[in-house]
Amino acid sequence: MASQLAFKSRIASTESLAKIFNAQEMIASSHIAKARKVALDAKPYSDAISDAVQALVAHTHITHPIFKGEPGNDRVAVLALTADRGMAGAYTSSVIRETEGLLARLDQEGKHPLLYVYGRRGVTYYKYRSREVAQTWEGDSDKPGAEVAEQISKALMEAYMKPAAQGGVGELYIVFTEFVNMVVQKVRVLRMLPVELVQAETAAEEIEVAKTAPLYSFEPSTEEVLDAVLPKYIQSRIHECLLTSAASETACRQNAMHTATDNARNLIGDLTRKLNTSRQASITQELTEIIGSADALNKKEE
Amino acid sequence: MAAEKTTMQVTIVASDRPVWSGLAASVTVPASEGGMGILPNHEPVLVVVNSGQVVVTDAEGARHGFNVEDGFVAFDSNKLTVAVEHCSDEVSAEQAA
Repeated sequence: MASQLAFKSRIASTESLAKIFNAQEMIASSHIAKARKVALDAKPYSDAISDAVQALVAHTHITHPIFKGEPGNDRVAVLALTADRGMAGAYTSSVIRETEGLLARLDQEGKHPLLYVYGRRGVTYYKYRSREVAQTWEGDSDKPGAEVAEQISKALMEAYMKPAAQGGVGELYIVFTEFVNMVVQKVRVLRMLPVELVQAETAAEEIEVAKTAPLYSFEPSTEEVLDAVLPKYIQSRIHECLLTSAASETACRQNAMHTATDNARNLIGDLTRKLNTSRQASITQELTEIIGSADALNKKEE
Repeated sequence: MAAEKTTMQVTIVASDRPVWSGLAASVTVPASEGGMGILPNHEPVLVVVNSGQVVVTDAEGARHGFNVEDGFVAFDSNKLTVAVEHCSDEVSAEQAA
């Protein structure tokens, strides 16, 4: 009975697949706790930087290029945050789809987008299609450290601070995945640079600002403090994006693996039922044959 | 009460983790223009920090040293925040720097 053997081997292989999916799911769920811890650990630093930037904004009149951008520069940097590994459902493909949409939109506006990619899956996607990519980073997409954020923000800040003639960019967009909760992750496009400044809008706020303005002193000088703090602000924002993307990636992977495990179990159930049917059929056939031949023998004697 | 008033809240954070926090009687930081000591109730200040050692003297007079690199220090309403890219674990205050 070849079909029974075939069913048995299919069940065995599906079972081992289910085990792999289950293990992947458990690994992902243990990584989520880690990702959450990393995000919590990085929070005090980004809070400190936001506070400092707020103090700077309230106490000085900022004319730093980070807030102004470079009018007339139509080159735009786009950073896509993808995963290093597959098995994460639609995580990377939805980031890539969103990136493609953004690139097309920027092209329509007559801008020249430059692509920066983080994550091996995204890098191979664009390499396979031989698309021009300005710079790529790989590794640790599910637990990005401060070092990766530093590398990325340094490269992007360099591109941003350069004048257009030397290949500088005027804007920076980031495509990343926001972690809403374990089940929902949303791909979002964020314009990181130039930073949109929330100015004091009402007269009362102006007075408030003027009152508190002389209280803070900056050393060595306001400009130097700005020059030191603002790139760090950008870096911590990028790090934040990396961390929320990493959490989303892990959650996506856990969901995908959970579905895969369920599917494999359903498949095993179906196959077992088919195996039983075919075994029962063969038993019935054998019995009919035996009974039939016994009947034939009995009839002969009579 | 008097002892309480002469302390300030200090928080040291690195880019990937919080390092130390607690009450301190004085702190010296490696400001870009040279070392700078900060006592409780200092005027609000935002200082750029280069690499060097931050020394915290806590309320009991014990000294804690941290090797830091590249960041800034903000002091406001008796709260000192040291935010740096990289920070070592606690080292003895007399070491190095």
